[in-house]
Amino acid sequence: MEQSIVTFLERILPDATSIVVEDFQQIAGGFSRETFKCEARVTRGSTEEVMPLILRKDPPDVEAILHTDRSVEHNLIESLRLRTTIPVSQSYGYEMDPKPFGQPAMIIERASGSGQTSALFNGGADEDQAESVIKHLCEVLVELHKCPINKIDPDGALTDPFGRGIKIESWDIFMDSTIEFFESSYKSLNYDPVMIILLDAVYTLRRNKPRAMPLSIVHGDFNPANFLYENGQVSALIDWEASRVGDPREDLGWMVLMDVYSNTHVMDYPKKEGGFLAYYNKLTGNDITPEELGYFMLFGTMEIAVPVQQFVARRVHKEFTLLLPLYVAQTSMAVLPAMAQAMGYMGVSA
Amino acid sequence: MMTKPMVDDLLEGLLIALENEIIPFISSPKAQSTGLMMQSIIQEIRQILPVFDTHIAIEHNQMTQVLRDMSATLDGVTGAEADRIRDRAKSLGTRADVVVPADQIPIRESHRELGFALQDNMTDLDVLQRAGETKADAALQILRTHLLPRLVHDVETLTVGAGVAGRG
Repeated sequence: MEQSIVTFLERILPDATSIVVEDFQQIAGGFSRETFKCEARVTRGSTEEVMPLILRKDPPDVEAILHTDRSVEHNLIESLRLRTTIPVSQSYGYEMDPKPFGQPAMIIERASGSGQTSALFNGGADEDQAESVIKHLCEVLVELHKCPINKIDPDGALTDPFGRGIKIESWDIFMDSTIEFFESSYKSLNYDPVMIILLDAVYTLRRNKPRAMPLSIVHGDFNPANFLYENGQVSALIDWEASRVGDPREDLGWMVLMDVYSNTHVMDYPKKEGGFLAYYNKLTGNDITPEELGYFMLFGTMEIAVPVQQFVARRVHKEFTLLLPLYVAQTSMAVLPAMAQAMGYMGVSA
Repeated sequence: MMTKPMVDDLLEGLLIALENEIIPFISSPKAQSTGLMMQSIIQEIRQILPVFDTHIAIEHNQMTQVLRDMSATLDGVTGAEADRIRDRAKSLGTRADVVVPADQIPIRESHRELGFALQDNMTDLDVLQRAGETKADAALQILRTHLLPRLVHDVETLTVGAGVAGRG
């Protein structure tokens, strides 16, 4: 694998006279991709530079939670890096040929900053940074949502990047085609009757569509584990593989759920601005209500739940033998009460 | 409760993970040996779980019978030892038989069928609701009222602590 990285870097750094890859190791997290880190010692003439790198590699098809495309992710990251001020790690390129790395892969800069975002909350070591970090996080999200779609995605690659049959001619068409995708996917994830809560969510979403809002590029997995921070600022928003065109309220709704699930408090900050939603509304003028947030918590959950539960279903049907989906089945149970609450089940506490 | 994956599926998953995802990457011979012992014990648990309660109940009822039968066989024998055997037959040997647990497989299959029937009801109710039938709203509420405590119970029973391994 190290030699494949050297060969890859030689292609994108033709002036390098020597490239040595060190400390190559697989890292935890990033369940949807296999993630490795290393450092490349690059010599150009008499100067030497150390490049901290991340290699993100596709898993085998049957073991993939979400079927995403490394070239699309690369183009998006570079578009964000070059056309906006959203902090992202530079993507150095991708390799779609499975030969060098065993599967399609991409190599990106390992951004500086801490990914231990739980340290910002609950008396953690970096709680003094929470106010400014989350304020910046909100500003970053607003920039993403306010940026014209064709500026970030001029080729339309993010219209329906996962081949779900999503259409974006209007907000209504987007919502209807997405809910239709949820419904048509249900059979493939229904490995146990307990999945009825997801079925209820599909129908509830269809019967209770809120007001329309202009579509935008959404991160698609905006949660407390997907940003790095240092010196009171977000140093990188990471894991862009689920990004696509969507309703901006999806990112907020998913964060609401994941905040509860992760025992973090992103949505409570910046406190001086009355919390994340209040500050977001102030910056955008969108005046998103808590009820809309509840709707999109459910909607955003379904966007993630469909591929995740399909992944579990394939494991239950023994299409592959990884342990991860059994763990995912256990941990994903924790979101069910929040989904029930969003649908108005009686007696669920806030 | 979920009927899939079952406890045996989870244990089998642990065995396979040990075999494919952990043991090949252990360099310490002692740790490798512990890994193999863990595999053996997990397999033992898989074999015990399906039969444990049934065997315990059957053996319980058999033992009370054996205590009584032994006592009867010693009818007419005198002495402290024989008296103690008769005493045990009168005390422990007269305990009532316990109920042998029913075969769980057909119960689980029936549970799944009922669960999927509720899903079908939900789909039919959605059509009625969208047609404006307000009684369908009330019927859905009955279903949700049934589901809510089950969800809470499932979360309490199945989840372990907060957060997700490998996440920040």
